Amino acid sequence: MSGPVEGEAAAPPAVTPQAPNDPAAPAKTDPKETKPADDGASKKPSGAELKKLKQLEKQAKRAQAKAIVPPATQQGGPPKENQKQREQKQSQKKDESRPLPIRRRPSQSNAVPQQQAKKESTRGQKNLGLFFGHLYSQPRQHSMVGASKDVHPAVLALGLQYSSYVICGSTARMVAMLLAFKAVIESYQTPVGTSLARHLTNHHLSPQIDYLRSCRPLSISMGNAIRWLKDLIIKIDPSTPEAEAKRDLVEEIDMFIRERVTAAQKLIRDQAATKILPGDVILTYASSSIVEQTLLQAHKAGVPFTVIVVDSKPLFEGKTLARKLANQGITVRYYLITGASHAVKDASKVFLGAHAMMSNGRLYSRVGTALVSMLARSHSLPVLVLCESVKFTEKVALDSIVGNEVAPASEILSEAERASLLPLEPHLPATHPSKNKAEDKHAADDAKSGPLDVIKWVEGSDNLHHLQVLYDVTPAEYINMVITEYGSLPPSSVPVVHRLSTNT
Amino acid sequence: MAQGITQLAPGLISFLKSLKTTPADPSVEHLISLLKRRQIRNSRPCAIATTALMLRVVGEFKGRDAAKLVERIRQVGRRLTAAQPREVVVGNIVRRVLGLVREVLDDNTGDSHTGSDAGHNTPTHHDSMTRPTLSSSISTFSPLRHAAAEPMDASMTSEMSDSSEFNRRPPLLTSHTSYAPTTSAPLVNSLFGLFSQPDDSNASTPTGAASPDGKSAHSLNLERLADLSRSTNIDLKSEVMDGIRELQDELEQSDEQIAGVALEHIHSNEIILTHTASTTVQKFLLSAAKKRKFTVVHAETYPHDNTATHGILLTGRKRETRLDEDEDPWKPLTAAGIPVYVIPDSHVFAIMSRVNKVILATHTVLANGGLVAAAGAHMIAKAAKEHRTPVVVLSGVYKLSPVYPFDIDELIEYGDAGRVVPYEDGEFVDKVDVEHPLYDYVPADLVDLYITNLGGHAPSYLYRIVADHYHTEDITL
Repeated sequence: MSGPVEGEAAAPPAVTPQAPNDPAAPAKTDPKETKPADDGASKKPSGAELKKLKQLEKQAKRAQAKAIVPPATQQGGPPKENQKQREQKQSQKKDESRPLPIRRRPSQSNAVPQQQAKKESTRGQKNLGLFFGHLYSQPRQHSMVGASKDVHPAVLALGLQYSSYVICGSTARMVAMLLAFKAVIESYQTPVGTSLARHLTNHHLSPQIDYLRSCRPLSISMGNAIRWLKDLIIKIDPSTPEAEAKRDLVEEIDMFIRERVTAAQKLIRDQAATKILPGDVILTYASSSIVEQTLLQAHKAGVPFTVIVVDSKPLFEGKTLARKLANQGITVRYYLITGASHAVKDASKVFLGAHAMMSNGRLYSRVGTALVSMLARSHSLPVLVLCESVKFTEKVALDSIVGNEVAPASEILSEAERASLLPLEPHLPATHPSKNKAEDKHAADDAKSGPLDVIKWVEGSDNLHHLQVLYDVTPAEYINMVITEYGSLPPSSVPVVHRLSTNT
Repeated sequence: MAQGITQLAPGLISFLKSLKTTPADPSVEHLISLLKRRQIRNSRPCAIATTALMLRVVGEFKGRDAAKLVERIRQVGRRLTAAQPREVVVGNIVRRVLGLVREVLDDNTGDSHTGSDAGHNTPTHHDSMTRPTLSSSISTFSPLRHAAAEPMDASMTSEMSDSSEFNRRPPLLTSHTSYAPTTSAPLVNSLFGLFSQPDDSNASTPTGAASPDGKSAHSLNLERLADLSRSTNIDLKSEVMDGIRELQDELEQSDEQIAGVALEHIHSNEIILTHTASTTVQKFLLSAAKKRKFTVVHAETYPHDNTATHGILLTGRKRETRLDEDEDPWKPLTAAGIPVYVIPDSHVFAIMSRVNKVILATHTVLANGGLVAAAGAHMIAKAAKEHRTPVVVLSGVYKLSPVYPFDIDELIEYGDAGRVVPYEDGEFVDKVDVEHPLYDYVPADLVDLYITNLGGHAPSYLYRIVADHYHTEDITL
């Protein structure tokens, strides 16, 4: 029994540490031209087949859509899918330093999304390959339908909160995940014949993680935390009684949250708050919990300053931040990103939150951050990034295209915007595929079918795509200072701090 | 439903309709109120409305006194620009019409006096002259200018008599640092002929005939006006009206002319980023799409223009032209087989590394080569600069303004904050200062190329085109 289990167990860990293992080797050694072929070759035995399999499964799944999915395909489905995804993801991340998307497009992503597009009506995903095709590996899960039966209810709930952005922000997501994992561990029973250290990571935690990933790609901080947790579990002495091991784990998780998040945030905000001087106008983009804490702390300390919140659609996270700050009595001005060049004129400092800090000193954060820091730099404003070291990663990125998270494009048009587009209906081109449909529907029930139709127009027109990603990469030269719990440093020191924080 | 709105909603269409039946003065009032209420907005509708109104005003002008016509146009123009100073195009059109009147005068007096070369030379003289004058002329709504120039205006307009002009002439001449601006010859010549110039300017009639620019042109014009009123054989009015009709044609054709050079600027498989809903840009891209395959990335310009942007991409129409019954609809880009990717504005930097060219639409182009365009244009241009991506600005010449941006903030219009945060969110609106700038000023150094209906120009050359189209004496209305 333990034989096959171990065999399987051995494979995924090589994948999960995500860092220096397999695809790095071909990446380094291959001259550029042989690269695609090699890429394909290394993947073909597993990758291509898996891809086909996955597509078939997905097709089946889609076909039955929201109906009950036969458990057979399901059981088989997720692990393979996930394995594949992980592989793909990994290779993507490895590739970040090279401008690969062009090469990748014909070889890989074309094949996958084309078929998806057909069945999914998500208009021509093949064309999205032009920019982010390599990221459309799987559609985001918005329900519990496809979840493996092993997934813990707490994780199920968490996944839904992820996919609907109820829990948003990389720190919040990581903490929520760890808390859910605590529940998972507490209710875990080691099956007979295996040890906790071996079984928990690969057979119990992995499905949870895979489910979370299917709801929304893991954040860097989550990846770091998962790696830490797996490391911890594997190191558990097999002789430790199960109850004790579980208690230790739960305590360790609590400790991790306390040390790496709570205490770190306190240190950072203490330090960052001292950077706010009387009369400052602090500009911030979107919403970061640590920036919010810093501003509130400075406000409580009695420093008179005002805040400019720059925000963007579709998440409007900055609105929440602006509301919170205003409720505390801080003078807040609110701009959308289109007005950013006006906003920076009045600002004196820029505080940014981070999704992750890359090892090449670049900031990976909410899309639009790069624009704001670019404008700030052109106005010679200091740009300060507040970031816990748990969000540091050894990954590097040069642009925002190779590694990113694609969000559903239908989110671009809000309900109100769709409604305001409705009067255009009579002017849709006659060739428009959805036109006839839409007309029929309108004849039937005019008001009701409205706003959703607009999405159909967009999906129906062959060449029109809505594109949305969640992050962008800010060049290191726009950033003046990164404030972490290890101190304030230039972005070039990120890799050092990352080593410090992971080795201790 | 759309028909009903057409009848009711005041705007360009209703104005043009009413213009057919209403006399000039009420029409002026009508347009002023429309401008004030922002029921006519954006450059093209403003330009069309102003030109139509000018046609009407000139058409109803009684009498043959050119000075009075100039004064009448100025007076209307001043009121229109005061109604909506940020629609710089209104002022541009008025200046163009004034220029027409002067041109007609130049031509006619030139014919009767010293031969045809005076009128012929006019543009070139202006070219060399206008630069110094331009930099010292200030936007019509700048407080600075009001302080400095209003009295002059008043004197000029209240009594346009020969004597007052001549009285003003000497101080004006001495106010120039050199005599160069008043010389008739182009700059190059004037350098060679430095010493001969005082003689020229001292000679009475030849100077007038040969130097129709600068302040001396005023006196010249007045002489001519006097002549003109004597020689009744010139139909000033009809010539000016012909000119205005030509201006209307230019407005109509500028998009096509700009689109005509599209193939020179877009090559196959390019990725082109643009923003907001601009007819000019869409036609430009469409014209390129006939021959080439490329990809368009379209920033939606939320919250100001996003509806129009989505509309133009879905149907080839903006919201506002929807009401237009006879405007020729064109196919959306997507129907021409061009893949279009709509991105939120925040994605500009992320996408820019893959973009080959940025094409910007504009609201107004200023004399220094900078432009005022829909909000977000500045960060797009800046991101393009950071990525060394060329930025191309498409603009009809009618958007080119002699206004020099001394105070950029004056040019920026702020819009309805309710578009940013809906007023239903009362608590938020109450506590937070929500701002919604509609336009951005893009400095000239972020632009690589301007394409107008006259061709492509470097931003540094724009002053010259401005000089070609506006007479210096009209720069301050």
